[in-house]
Amino acid sequence: MITLRGLTKRYGETTAVRDLSLDVLPGRVTGFLGPNGAGKSTTMRMILGLDRPSAGEALICGRPYATLRNPLRRVGALLDAKAVHPARSARAHLLAMARSNGIPARRVGEVLDAVGLASVARRRVGTFSLGMSQRLGIAGALLGDPEVLLFDEPVNGLDPDGVRWVRELARSLAGEGRTVLVSSHLMSEMQLTADQLIVIGKGRLLADAPIADMLGGSSRSRVVVRSPDMERLRALADALAADRSTVERISGHELAVRDGSVERVGDLAHRLAVPLHGLEERTASLEQAYMELTADSVEYGTAAALEGRV
Amino acid sequence: MTVTTTAHRAPRIREGGLHGAIAAEWTKLWSVRSTWWCLLSAAMVTALVCAQLAVSHVYDNTHAGRPHPGVASAGELAISAMSLVQVVVIAPAMLMITSEYSTGLIRSTLLWTPVRHRMLLAKVIVLAPVMFAIGTALGLLGAGAARPMLGRWGTFPVTGVVADALSVGAYIAVVGVFTLGVGAVLRSAVGTLTGVFLVLMVVPTLLGVAGGAGEKVADALPSIAGQHFMRGDADPYGPAGGLAVTAAWAVAALLAGAWVLHRRDA
Repeated sequence: MITLRGLTKRYGETTAVRDLSLDVLPGRVTGFLGPNGAGKSTTMRMILGLDRPSAGEALICGRPYATLRNPLRRVGALLDAKAVHPARSARAHLLAMARSNGIPARRVGEVLDAVGLASVARRRVGTFSLGMSQRLGIAGALLGDPEVLLFDEPVNGLDPDGVRWVRELARSLAGEGRTVLVSSHLMSEMQLTADQLIVIGKGRLLADAPIADMLGGSSRSRVVVRSPDMERLRALADALAADRSTVERISGHELAVRDGSVERVGDLAHRLAVPLHGLEERTASLEQAYMELTADSVEYGTAAALEGRV
Repeated sequence: MTVTTTAHRAPRIREGGLHGAIAAEWTKLWSVRSTWWCLLSAAMVTALVCAQLAVSHVYDNTHAGRPHPGVASAGELAISAMSLVQVVVIAPAMLMITSEYSTGLIRSTLLWTPVRHRMLLAKVIVLAPVMFAIGTALGLLGAGAARPMLGRWGTFPVTGVVADALSVGAYIAVVGVFTLGVGAVLRSAVGTLTGVFLVLMVVPTLLGVAGGAGEKVADALPSIAGQHFMRGDADPYGPAGGLAVTAAWAVAALLAGAWVLHRRDA
């Protein structure tokens, strides 16, 4: 289990991570989502003792990472696939890693097999593709057979086969009762992998909920009505608003109705004799829910992306 | 495509800690080719510089108007050569820490050994004996390269040369640790090399040019103190004093490195 208590990181004037408090529980895959620059990597680096929090604490199994005895046997992490010496072979890198924590050398061969790098084990890591480097990073994370795993953007540079492999790996590790935290800026990926979602934006916690709740809680589920008759459409909007529905005007000929069903809006339109050219229910995808949640905290948003928020 | 981690739970027998950190540093040191290139180039430079010193020693003795230093032990020339060769010899010590920062490996190393002073201590424990062995070997090699060039102006007393070589080893070990400490503070290879080069070679030369008071100040610098130690000079503080001065620089650099490691994010 990973526990964050008021975790904060400031760099001078800017606050990269602001007062994060949450638990990452074992036995499930927790997705850690946020736009670029949201503070995901900084948070993970603080959990792993690489960066010192400005305030608060990050604990693994109740203790700061740096106080763990043989930390690689408790926590496996893929932070940065390029955090290796390019002139060293994959095997030598993992061997040094194993020796540092008293892990038997035979584990090196096992994890190299597990990630599919056995045939290139003696090649210099500098010659690896990004995908191979990611696999080596994952091999390192698995080396100590740890109960807690952190993967920072693990599917970066992987081909579709590799992406599926990481997904299945994360799920099987969680299935074995381990704590698995996977960061990503791609909601579509998390939709397929995670059970629980933590969403941050500009260093702030935006959501911490099971993936199903994220969908239901989205204000994006709505009924869209289209009519050529602007006047009657306005009357419909007024009637819906009077009935405690939230109505958005998309254009002169189109309305979006929240908390309303197709049946109710259709019946009401019939009663008010509104000619309908379209009536449909639009369910939010997780992607939309995520965009909506993080819209205000996109670090480098473009004008188009901001308009798309309506 | 399945992962067999649970089937093979790592037996919790052996311990990591400082012991593990030392084993990891040892493995890292010898698993990159650059270490071997450093050793090879250090050997070549040492042999060349010693041969050159021997040639000029002979020249000084055989030409009018030169200082005429007389017969010298080959070991003395190896010691003199160190004041020049040292910047090449310390390369593995520098790379031990700066390559971690230049490649990003430091973020992995600190996950393996999150207690930062323990990581640095493990590097010292691996580096010092290795540098001692390298320095001793280079001392013997240098004396061996100088001897044939010296002709009748040189001697090769075996015990004396071995003692000289061992003192070169000790000096190189201490200067290696000094370099490691500077590297932990500055983190970049260029910065470290410049800093160490200034302290070991440029500043002593400038002070030597200044003469008098300048030379007194230079005696407090690690490379000059190291020369006093290796030559066994009675002045100004005896050989043991010379080694102590050099070691004080190494300890100060290490403490500064440990402090920076604790203060700054990796």
